[in-house]
Amino acid sequence: MAKKGGEFKELEELVRHHIDSFDYMVDRGLEIMLDNIKPVRIYDPHTDTSLSLYLSNPRINAPIKDVRSRTNRKRLLPFECRQAKVSYTGKFEADVCFQYDGRPVIREKYNFGQFPIMLKSKLCYLRSADPQQLVSLKEEASEVGGYFILNGIERVFRCLIMPKQNYPMSMTRGSYRERREGHTDKAVVIRCVREYQSSLTDHSSVTVRLYYLHNGSARVGFWVRGREYLLPVGIVLKALVETTDREIYENLTSYYDEKYEKVKGAVGSQLLGERAKIILDEVRDASLFTQDDCLQHIGEHFQPVVDELENKTPYTVAHAVLKDYMFVHLPNFHDKFSLLIFMLQKLFSFVDQTSAPDNPDSLQNQDILLPGHLMTIYLKEKLEDWLRKAKSLVQDELKKNNTFNFLAVGDVRKVMDKNSPVTISTAVESMLRSGRLATQTGLDLQQRAGYTVQAERLNYLRFLSFFRAVHRGASFAGGRTTSVRKLLPESWGFLCPVHTPDGEPCGLLNHMTCSCRVTSYFDSQGVVKDFFDIRKSILGVLTSLGMIASLPKLVQAGPPKALSVLLDGRVIGSLPSSEIEKVVAHLRRLKVSATSAIPDDMEVGYVPLSIGGAYPGLYISTYPSRFIRPVRNISIPCEESQDIELIGPFEQVFMEIKCPDGGNGGRSNAFPATHEEIHPTNMLSVVANLTPWSDHNQSPRNMYQCQMAKQTMAFSLQSLRFRADQKIYHLQTPQTPIVRTGAYTKYSIDEHPTGTNAIVAVLAYTGYDMEDAMILNKSSVDRGMFHGQIYQTETIDLSDEGSRSDRSHRRFRRSNTDRSSHSLIDSDGLPYVGQIINPNEPYCSIYNDITNTSKPKHRKGSEPAIVDYVAVDTKSKKHLQKVNIRFRHPRNPIIGDKFSSRHGQKGVCSQLWPDIDMPFSGVTGMRPDLIINPHAFPSRMTIAMLLESLAAKGGSLNGNFVDATPFASTVRASNAGEAKSEPESLVDELGKMLKSKGFNHHGVEVLYSGVYGTELTCEIFIGPVYYQRLRHMVSDKFQVRSTGPVDQITRQPIKGRKRGGGIRFGEMERDSMLAHGAAYLLHDRLHTCSDYHIADVCSICGSILTTHYQPQRRIVRDIGGLPPVKAPKKVVCHACQTSKGIETVAMPYVFRYLAAELAAMNIKMTLHLNDGA
Amino acid sequence: MESVSYQRFPKIKIREMKDDYLKFELRETDASMANALRRVMIAEVPTIAIDLVEIEVNSSVLNDEFIAHRLGLIPLTSERAMGMRFSRDCDACDGDGQCEYCSVEFHLRAKCITDQTLDVTSKDLYSSDHAVIPVDFSDPSDANDPFDNTETQRGIIIVKLRRGQELRLRAIARKGIGKDHAKWSPAATVTFMYEPEIHINEDLMETLTLEEKLSWIESSPTKVFDIDKVTQQVVVVDPEAYTYDDEVIKKAEAMGKRGLIDIRAKEDSFIFTVESTGAVKASQLVLNAIEILKQKLDAVRLSDDTVEADDQFGELGVHMRGG
Repeated sequence: MAKKGGEFKELEELVRHHIDSFDYMVDRGLEIMLDNIKPVRIYDPHTDTSLSLYLSNPRINAPIKDVRSRTNRKRLLPFECRQAKVSYTGKFEADVCFQYDGRPVIREKYNFGQFPIMLKSKLCYLRSADPQQLVSLKEEASEVGGYFILNGIERVFRCLIMPKQNYPMSMTRGSYRERREGHTDKAVVIRCVREYQSSLTDHSSVTVRLYYLHNGSARVGFWVRGREYLLPVGIVLKALVETTDREIYENLTSYYDEKYEKVKGAVGSQLLGERAKIILDEVRDASLFTQDDCLQHIGEHFQPVVDELENKTPYTVAHAVLKDYMFVHLPNFHDKFSLLIFMLQKLFSFVDQTSAPDNPDSLQNQDILLPGHLMTIYLKEKLEDWLRKAKSLVQDELKKNNTFNFLAVGDVRKVMDKNSPVTISTAVESMLRSGRLATQTGLDLQQRAGYTVQAERLNYLRFLSFFRAVHRGASFAGGRTTSVRKLLPESWGFLCPVHTPDGEPCGLLNHMTCSCRVTSYFDSQGVVKDFFDIRKSILGVLTSLGMIASLPKLVQAGPPKALSVLLDGRVIGSLPSSEIEKVVAHLRRLKVSATSAIPDDMEVGYVPLSIGGAYPGLYISTYPSRFIRPVRNISIPCEESQDIELIGPFEQVFMEIKCPDGGNGGRSNAFPATHEEIHPTNMLSVVANLTPWSDHNQSPRNMYQCQMAKQTMAFSLQSLRFRADQKIYHLQTPQTPIVRTGAYTKYSIDEHPTGTNAIVAVLAYTGYDMEDAMILNKSSVDRGMFHGQIYQTETIDLSDEGSRSDRSHRRFRRSNTDRSSHSLIDSDGLPYVGQIINPNEPYCSIYNDITNTSKPKHRKGSEPAIVDYVAVDTKSKKHLQKVNIRFRHPRNPIIGDKFSSRHGQKGVCSQLWPDIDMPFSGVTGMRPDLIINPHAFPSRMTIAMLLESLAAKGGSLNGNFVDATPFASTVRASNAGEAKSEPESLVDELGKMLKSKGFNHHGVEVLYSGVYGTELTCEIFIGPVYYQRLRHMVSDKFQVRSTGPVDQITRQPIKGRKRGGGIRFGEMERDSMLAHGAAYLLHDRLHTCSDYHIADVCSICGSILTTHYQPQRRIVRDIGGLPPVKAPKKVVCHACQTSKGIETVAMPYVFRYLAAELAAMNIKMTLHLNDGA
Repeated sequence: MESVSYQRFPKIKIREMKDDYLKFELRETDASMANALRRVMIAEVPTIAIDLVEIEVNSSVLNDEFIAHRLGLIPLTSERAMGMRFSRDCDACDGDGQCEYCSVEFHLRAKCITDQTLDVTSKDLYSSDHAVIPVDFSDPSDANDPFDNTETQRGIIIVKLRRGQELRLRAIARKGIGKDHAKWSPAATVTFMYEPEIHINEDLMETLTLEEKLSWIESSPTKVFDIDKVTQQVVVVDPEAYTYDDEVIKKAEAMGKRGLIDIRAKEDSFIFTVESTGAVKASQLVLNAIEILKQKLDAVRLSDDTVEADDQFGELGVHMRGG
């Protein structure tokens, strides 16, 4: 079964973005991050020396078993982590550099704890293993990795949508108006991702907003330590570079030209001059004239806010603020200046409605957040906190302790160790385990929780989907607006329109299409990209193509004459609009050619001139974590073999891409298609691609199928015996579908098949197939159809349960005195493998050395289980402390189990019908495995299911698989061109196949009643359909009770299936009983079966609370030999001091409770008894 | 009231007989009788199948129930089954089903000691009774065939073992019927069809051109009609190939020749096809089925209720008793 290496390439490709981002973090990201953590400086007044602390040289080691012993270093393998319920982690070490001023650096090695390691990353042992080796490492042959193992549980990072980085977006938000007096609701927003020299980044981001004011000016807003600071744009402009008012004015007004007013693509308006004047006046009014004035102003403002700079001059503070919070992706201040000018132009044009706002919900303006990136920024914050804490610890020590030797590194280190560095990795681990960020600053992210989810292996499709899922953000889930959930055309080809859950997360939780990829730091050869070089060569190419490079103080012309060129958020120049189309075409050609230095995943976001459309420009992106997908570039001459171009969602909007299924797409001849889809199925996710002929189904049915495919009880794991998952669903004898799409082979779905080819007859037979019920053939089930098991693992760890005192004195041993359980428990105190354990029978026995007792553990639940496997942890010293006991629950189909075809047609088994009573075919003698009702089709229009039945019948007669890839006919038609005029319809093609084997063209057959042997009145549509067994099974859900536990206070039955409770007979149910007049039944449900109670009521005072039993004095003498006569009950009213007038009344017990509650509030309740009638 | 006898004497004509395949005609009876025979053959002819498995060692990849289920589905030669007792009615063993009158014991011991995967098959089951053994599917006639499928030679695969894995078990086979579990069903397929009567309206047929005739013949998915090379007349070559799919009738109507063909099912003639699992020979299966059908009718006739029911059903009761 195991395939040779490289057979699972396509699968690996699906999770690559997870692994690549983690690999980069380990390779380079951590180092860059550490190098850019600002050193902390500790000053000792006694010795008048200062110590600066910083980090460098991070290393993460591969996972090793048992950290304590140094001699015995064994590899810790993922399967061991899963079984032992530990985390797959490697040691994270880094050097802390101690530098006393002027003296050489002292490097101290620090252990930052056990850092979680992603499976199949560079640090994982599975990385280079081929399928054969994976199997010997007790993994799946097709293991793809991309997740973490934390305490034995597999968790995946939940990819999130982020605003597109380094791209200024114009937005309208009501909340902007509330920022301060005079603000409008319009702003231009840019999420800048920090970059250092030579284009290195640590992924931390700072969002800068440029607000428009009613008076025509603008404010720059950025967040420092959880507060937004607003600065007049003029001050920032002047502070950034040495400039004059005239230069600023010219820069701002350069986009307005009377000549071009009202011409297509003109963005400037007359008002620009006015606004420039207002901006400059603001600065002048604050009497800030020079750059130094402005810096001084900013510096004074921020001195208290920014730490490490308390004692610095305002000038340095201002410099630091502008460097660390303003446009952090641009280290150069001139670049910041040009970008701010560009943003102002965009803002003004947005206000003047010469350009449209950007939609933040559109994929065009979005990126993706990857695990490695989040871990880097989270780790950065944790390390910064640790350094800061270390500083304060040392400072405290300096103040308190006079003997403390500040100059001895050892002493300083001892103080610093009070804040254990090991917690750093623990914080990252707990972040991944819980998905919650414990952060003060928020890290410029919109949510704190939900960053990881458990990767359930219910079946392989569900597992795979976790890696392809992209969430819009938890903050949108609660919102009442539905605009974020909308399926926008911009996401075409990147996010699957079919594969999104219905219900609460609909449209928020999307899945990437099968061809969608994410740009990474690694090029196709696996070498880390050098963005500095890449940008230099792009710049070179552009300049050679006639771009006027932006120079300090050079005033560039604006649209429509020329278009600004932005490279990763940096204004690098402008191109004449007459040249631009040519430049773009040339860039695209360079992109696909293998020889050029231009990377193949570069995005050429050319926004053309338009009237009131998106703000024009050429936005080139090279950075990682963008969505990309391949399309065919048909504008490139054919001789160049390489014509697959990777495009991004930003550029896609302005490109002409034709799709075989879409005709000419309404394109006129003026704009011919330059690109072509490789195959229409590229717009679907992996799971959606598995629906045969999904193009023949009504679209919601395909969505339902995507849901149900992920709930299917399937062949989830081949490495079943080495797993200790909480719960595994397993289908005993799965089959590969006869009718299959190309994706089945491409993604090796046959390694983990999900269903059975069942012979399905569509007819109304016994009445037991009404309303989506289905009849299963009992003999088929007897022969093993849809048989399955649930595996459930119990982990018993003696070292963490029970009180601390007797922890070490407990072990597994069976009791020698009590021999009743010896048939179930072996001499080691653990169950026999293969033993059936019934409910409430013991399955293991724990012996306590101190109390000398053994306590058996009993099985809960209501059904017998079979001991499948017992795994013991032999690592610990003397006795066994930790065992995994895996139970097996048989789950063969019974009435009430749920099944579905691959077309969103689900149904519940209503009967296991005897084979002899099933209809049979006179020719073949065939009886169906399964009967569904014909009413399942007209309203749901799942034509593909009918086609599947036809095709599977033909396929099985001919002994072939049938290809059911959607859109195949259109692709064929477009490939063949117009040569064949009338292509044969799919039904005819399939019908021909049937007819050649002597069957009816339409897939119907004459069937005979199994009961009477007579011909059924009509011909029956019958054929094999691939059916899935869903995980919802009655055995796990049924709830029944006649009597059982009751609530202590009300004496009503408790709720909860687990505890043997009942189902609430609520108000609406009561109403229906009343409406029926079913009084006796009502009384039975609500009283007799609930809290029936006989109370003694005192008819004199009407109280039910004052009555109580009078303890009878024993007056009855013992008559020799006879048992004492029981005295008659005597009830006395405490208030009336008499037993006269005591009556017994049947009532609900809650009534008594009500009386008691009322009495507690000083309200007396009296009953007036009456003989009725 | 005059008593009318409805008694008929059905006739059987065997057309083709092999060990596991039988084709015969059943005439002069009605659908209820034919269907009853079919139902009895599938669900009520007893066979012997493994019903209880005691597993000593199982280190294979398949779990115990899975193996037990697979063992149960192996057909065992069940010529003895008709004479055996159901273990539930067995006096000799108080119904625990482990005595020689009602059960057959099997043993299986297999361990893989080589690097080659070991196939454990039905051939590895050792029976305590030489008359009850797993069905041998290998065809002796082509034993020398070099292209022989070795899988069928080796029997039915139960499980595959790799080095070090072992399977050791004791299995009890019992008598049972297909109604209780499909594993006791001796019939792979039993089906019958009504014999068709096909009349071509020759006059109308002559109005068709040769091409029309051919396309009409083509419209049937099965080869029922053909054209006589000499006379160019449409002839019925194989009436039984007709599946009552009405395709030719529809075609005739579409050609505007309603009444071109008349096809009727003979109400009292059936063509049976019986395929056996190998547990009993197909011919024996039919005989056993008739025997059981007779027993069932006897049970109805002899039961006390029928005497009381006589008043209600009168003649029918007499008729059933062969009167």
